[in-house]
Amino acid sequence: MSLRDVLSPFTAWKHVINDPVTIKDPFNRPGADRYRGFHQNDMDKCIGCGSCEEICQNAAIDMVPVEGQEAGPGDSGLRPMIDYGRCCWCALCVDVCMTGSLTMSNEYTWVDSDPDAFRFVPGVDGKSWDLEPKGYQREDTRRLTGTTRAPMGELAPEDRIGNFCEIVDGFTPEQAVIEADRCVECGLCVATCPAHMDIPDYIAKVRDGDFEGGLQLLYETNPFSQACGRICTHKCETTCAAMHEGDAIAIRWLKRAITDSVDKDRYFDLIQKPDVPETGQSVAVIGAGPAGLTTAFDLARKGHKVVVFEALDKPGGMMRYGIPEYRLPYDVLDHEISVIEAMGVEIRCNMRVGHEISMEQLAKAYDAVVLSIGLHQGRSTRVPGSDKAEAAIDLLRRITAGVEVPVPEQVAVIGGGNVAMDIARSMARLQKIKYGRVGVTVTALEDLDRFLADREEIEEAQEEGCVIYPARGPQEIVLDGETVMGLRTWKVQAIFDDQGRFAPKYDEADEMIHPAGMVVEAIGQMADISLLGEALTEKLEWNRGRIMIDSTGQTSEPWLWAAGDAVSGPDVIHAVADGHRVAVSVGKMLAAKREKVQ
Amino acid sequence: MRHILYRLKDRYHLGTPVFQRDDLCFVTVKRFELRAILTELRDVEGFTHLTLLTAVDWIEEQQFQLTYMVNNRVANLTLALRVMLDREDATGDTIHDLWPTAATYQRELREMFGITFPGSPRVDEEFILEGWTDLPPYRRDFDTLAYSQQTYNDRPGRVTHDPKTHMQKTLYADYPKGAK
Ligand SMILES: Cc1cc2nc3c(=O)[nH]c(=O)nc-3n(C[C@H](O)[C@H](O)[C@H](O)COP(=O)(O)OP(=O)(O)OC[C@H]3O[C@@H](n4cnc5c(N)ncnc54)[C@H](O)[C@@H]3O)c2cc1C
Ligand code: SF4
Ligand code: SF4
Repeated sequence: MSLRDVLSPFTAWKHVINDPVTIKDPFNRPGADRYRGFHQNDMDKCIGCGSCEEICQNAAIDMVPVEGQEAGPGDSGLRPMIDYGRCCWCALCVDVCMTGSLTMSNEYTWVDSDPDAFRFVPGVDGKSWDLEPKGYQREDTRRLTGTTRAPMGELAPEDRIGNFCEIVDGFTPEQAVIEADRCVECGLCVATCPAHMDIPDYIAKVRDGDFEGGLQLLYETNPFSQACGRICTHKCETTCAAMHEGDAIAIRWLKRAITDSVDKDRYFDLIQKPDVPETGQSVAVIGAGPAGLTTAFDLARKGHKVVVFEALDKPGGMMRYGIPEYRLPYDVLDHEISVIEAMGVEIRCNMRVGHEISMEQLAKAYDAVVLSIGLHQGRSTRVPGSDKAEAAIDLLRRITAGVEVPVPEQVAVIGGGNVAMDIARSMARLQKIKYGRVGVTVTALEDLDRFLADREEIEEAQEEGCVIYPARGPQEIVLDGETVMGLRTWKVQAIFDDQGRFAPKYDEADEMIHPAGMVVEAIGQMADISLLGEALTEKLEWNRGRIMIDSTGQTSEPWLWAAGDAVSGPDVIHAVADGHRVAVSVGKMLAAKREKVQ
Repeated sequence: MRHILYRLKDRYHLGTPVFQRDDLCFVTVKRFELRAILTELRDVEGFTHLTLLTAVDWIEEQQFQLTYMVNNRVANLTLALRVMLDREDATGDTIHDLWPTAATYQRELREMFGITFPGSPRVDEEFILEGWTDLPPYRRDFDTLAYSQQTYNDRPGRVTHDPKTHMQKTLYADYPKGAK
């Protein structure tokens, strides 16, 4: 034994005058700064996605409706209730939380004789630690779910401007699987989709590499999944849980990835007509756009005979004659429609109702008639000279039909919506092919950040050489005799008056003449209802210029339904949703009729 | 720290050292050299303190990783040695003779990961899990959720709601779902 060993017990005495390192009051001891104590949840941030419940390894969390939180876009209205009899304080829920709303205070002591007191909704059932800044919060660099979207390839502006080739590549199956892996399958987006497609379920199929199973799921809610996978307005992505702390899931591209990955011929094996008896009843559908064809698809699968009357040369409606080929190639649309025809749907093209056949004839020959005629008449600005202007949708239709359209070196487009961008970019392509250069000006009443067109449409138009003049109001189409010379505009000061009515105010001193050999109006469309005839027009009930329908799509006539742009709109997926709704309603009427006969 | 590593490198197989800080370094070593390196670190390099001994289950690679963290208090240096074990044959070499506290760590690893250390005192005795019959709970193939659901009762009155279904009921109950 050394001397040090003998002395050391005594050296401890030198600490007797130091402050004690033990805690004086062990009952009120605060937790460490990053202690994982009782939860806090920021009600303004939480979206009720349930990822916290899903990850909890102790099944300690229930999602419950709470007072003051309503379901709405991107928010289920539910909030996590935690059972602290099960919680093991691992903080996985905090780590996974999609919004960062869920945190933990450093408070961990609490005594109560009622065990149910330890089951509560943090952030709703007030607690003393609700505002405690200390405790566990997720480190910002660490995320359990990926925050960035898999990149999407597309044609560069210089490669796409001289042709009508499809711009977006689409995901490879491998990229799609990576992107699908980011989805937490909460289902918040489903409410936002007008057709309420089974988004998390088909994304799960992508993640598992089961593209054929995914395709079958898509067809349960949308027979236009190939088109929608390319051109859908994809509002679902604006409510995706992943957008709060990263990029929203590329729902639209994942849908496309499914449709692209399945061999075209396999569609006919995977999507078969159900084995149902023929009802012997028949339905006439007017207009082969997405609304009419979805109705036809559903009704044919229920055993009814469906005939679609289409005025134009080919089916597809605005998907073919409006949306340009570089966004939705024709062969994709052709294939999509052939699947619908395989259900037994008969499409008769070049049959304009009101010309080749009348409404009365249809009403007599069929058990029900569905009106899905879209909006095929362009609206005019009615400024002086506007009778010499082209309507955007007429031009787009002629370009699709392969009819030669005049292509001047300089074109002026009026309008700031997607249709304006589509015609501007289509004309730009034709100019590039003819002259090797682009000369398109786009003018609209709105400021650029208020344009109705999608951001990417505006950016891509600019990349392709279209020049945009925001806040310019059309005053006159300048003519030299019969020849269009340009467009005269004034600077817009305000578009609406104090009451919010449309009443543009201009700065007349700020005038511009946009030289142009063609002026295109792209300021909206309306339905051509001349097919109805006077008697029926008189008989039907109307609502501000539109045919009135009930919530199922039925008009005031018991044999007539209406769907799609003509009555609601504004896009393909709404038309599809309308189609389903109307098919169910028509189907009910037909069933009732069958019962009566028996 | 680098000098110590240079000295060891001459005689042992060391992986690429990872410096988390200047005074904190991780390095992978061979199992059969572990005891020799630890002994040398303790007796020659002044790493007298065993800070911790812990494990990671790399189930995808079918390996367990043991981490031996040792500390030189005087020089304020921490070195962590990593040893990879075959997951199928989860047996490590005891170091309780180098640091008696290692016996406790090893007993814990035996219980939580099922990694055994033959010769370590009381290594097969229960540590904190009494009457455990399931897979060792820190193994990644142990299903925590299934275990807790089987083992613990829910408090009465618990109900949960699926966000998607709840939104369907409250926001669009009338919509006929597709062609179903
Ligand atoms: C230029 C442009 C771009 C667009 N881009 C997009 C987009 O990117 N994404 C998106 O989701 N939506 C887009 N839309 C909107 C979308 O195309 C429509 O909302 C959708 O096509 C509406 O479907 P529908 O079936 O109601 O009508 P339509 O698609 O318009 O189909 C109506 C059909 O009825 C036919 N018809 C009309 N009258 C008669 C008659 N008397 N007899 C027989 N047949 C008749 C028409 O020829 C037409 O085929 C775009 C629209 C336009 C104009
Ligand atoms: S994960 Fe976050 S946002 Fe989602 S329900 Fe739980 S607390 Fe709310
Ligand atoms: S796409 Fe987004 S909102 Fe939809 S289920 Fe996945 S994470 Fe949730």
